[in-house]
Amino acid sequence: MRIRAQRDDLADVLTRANRAVGTRTALPVLQGLLCEVSGTTLRVTGTDLDVTVRTQLEVEVMDEGRAVIPGKYLSEAVRKMPPGQVTIGVTDTDIEIEGNGPRFTLRPLTVDDFPTLEDVVADGVEVDGEDLADAINQVTIAASGDGARPILTGVLFETSDDGLRMVATDSYRLAKRDLPGVGLEGSGLVPARGLRELPRTIGAPKVSAQLREREAVFTSDRGSLRLRLIDGNFPKYQSLLPESYPNQVILDREELLEALGRVTLVAEDHIPVKLKLIEGGVEVAVSRQDVGAETEHLAGDYSGADDEVSIAFNPRYLQDGVSALSGDKVRIQVIDSYKPSVIDDGTDGDFLYLLMPVRV
Amino acid sequence: MRLVIARCSVDYSGRLTAHLPEAIRLIMIKADGTLAIHSDGNASKPLNWMVAPNLIETHADRWVVTNSKGESLTIWIDEVLEDVTHELGDDPGLQKDGVEAHLQELLAARPWVLEEGLTLVRREYPTDIGPVDLLCADQENRAVAVEVKRRGEIDGVEQLARYLERLDNDPRLAPVRGIFAAQSIAPQALVLAEARGIEAIEVDYEGLREVEDTELRLFDIRH
Repeated sequence: MRIRAQRDDLADVLTRANRAVGTRTALPVLQGLLCEVSGTTLRVTGTDLDVTVRTQLEVEVMDEGRAVIPGKYLSEAVRKMPPGQVTIGVTDTDIEIEGNGPRFTLRPLTVDDFPTLEDVVADGVEVDGEDLADAINQVTIAASGDGARPILTGVLFETSDDGLRMVATDSYRLAKRDLPGVGLEGSGLVPARGLRELPRTIGAPKVSAQLREREAVFTSDRGSLRLRLIDGNFPKYQSLLPESYPNQVILDREELLEALGRVTLVAEDHIPVKLKLIEGGVEVAVSRQDVGAETEHLAGDYSGADDEVSIAFNPRYLQDGVSALSGDKVRIQVIDSYKPSVIDDGTDGDFLYLLMPVRV
Repeated sequence: MRLVIARCSVDYSGRLTAHLPEAIRLIMIKADGTLAIHSDGNASKPLNWMVAPNLIETHADRWVVTNSKGESLTIWIDEVLEDVTHELGDDPGLQKDGVEAHLQELLAARPWVLEEGLTLVRREYPTDIGPVDLLCADQENRAVAVEVKRRGEIDGVEQLARYLERLDNDPRLAPVRGIFAAQSIAPQALVLAEARGIEAIEVDYEGLREVEDTELRLFDIRH
């Protein structure tokens, strides 16, 4: 195998495929990138078996062939080369990377040890790439990072009345996003960790999505991303969504985010921010015994069955939900101090963030 | 199990002689014949007791408990206030409460109690010699490995040191700091941890449990 291409193009396909390369893999070969050269195409595959990224590039081919090259060293070596053409070649024992002077020699990994991955057949449903990336960013904030509960580390993909619904929860909050018109068939629990890689690895104006028996497959003209589905039953989230809320306040989203930025100066994750919904807006307060306190009033439109309602939230979780909204306004709908509140943009739109309060 | 609340006085003779003056007390007679006399104080310890096998003779004004060692307990009953008997059936035995696993779970949910700004990367982070309990990131996004024990002993520190050695081989994580967290840590383990550059932290398990009890969730995650 011997190819030549522009440094920046090569670095791009290698770096994107390398995002799937595991940092904690027990199989040494999975620390490598499988580079396959055929015709005029270089195809690069990185995988940790749960997440697989495949990228490709048209290159100048001197020799066809395949090799597994340590991913971190390969992508970094190419990136650090001088601008211009870079050549990657396989000798009997080494991988040589050279261009405009510098020359790296890397030890290859055993190509036969690399797992066999079937080719992706791109017959999925076409999705607007920007909408999908937005939806991923909105729902994955609510997914858990606790690997001891794998189900909560996933995003549920399921068919809704008018398209695709994506839902994630870590048991303290739940994010739900609808993508109307996306007729993805089936349902599955897609790992949030891998989904977050989609915009960075194969993000494009048009993305094809497909749910298969054991994996979710996303393809674009920049490559493919395959995510092994998580086994298990996602919590029955529909019953968690209250049908009505007696109290609500509508605030300026930017003003609330700025206020929460001031709150987090005083509060760590475990110090709740207290909100008192009253006529004319919200009183925001946080106090921490060993630091001090911060209070302020945010003007807003409050309507409710009660003259005032007090509720407290984990400030980071509240900040996450408000940040995930896209409009100018934020609506907080509250039942009482102990039941989940809904945060949305006030339009009953496609995104909803359900947040459990903190007992104070 | 028979429970009697009675105004009584008690005389014991055996290894020594002892007298409890008249007062209201709880007399507990277990199905196996063990008898214990409790007051409202004295924590869990009975004022007087006779471990089975015993012979219990009940008379209108007194109960006499004797055993083969020549000990005897005479309970002079002045007034019976309550007398109830319940069949308790077979006991399933004491179950270990899984403190260590629960402590790990509690710390995974709130790693900042170990160090301000600490966030969880993954529980049971695999290494080639076994999983480290928690892999976290500090405020500067540097890797921190946390080993959790109920009681911190030298072998736990050694175990964490071995994990750190393996994790440091991963260039994407290195250098990895270590935190040894336990409900209580033996002095020798503290010395060894310091020598190995590992921070040893005693954590308040009961306090963490209280915090957990006040947390509200959308659904029960234990099922």
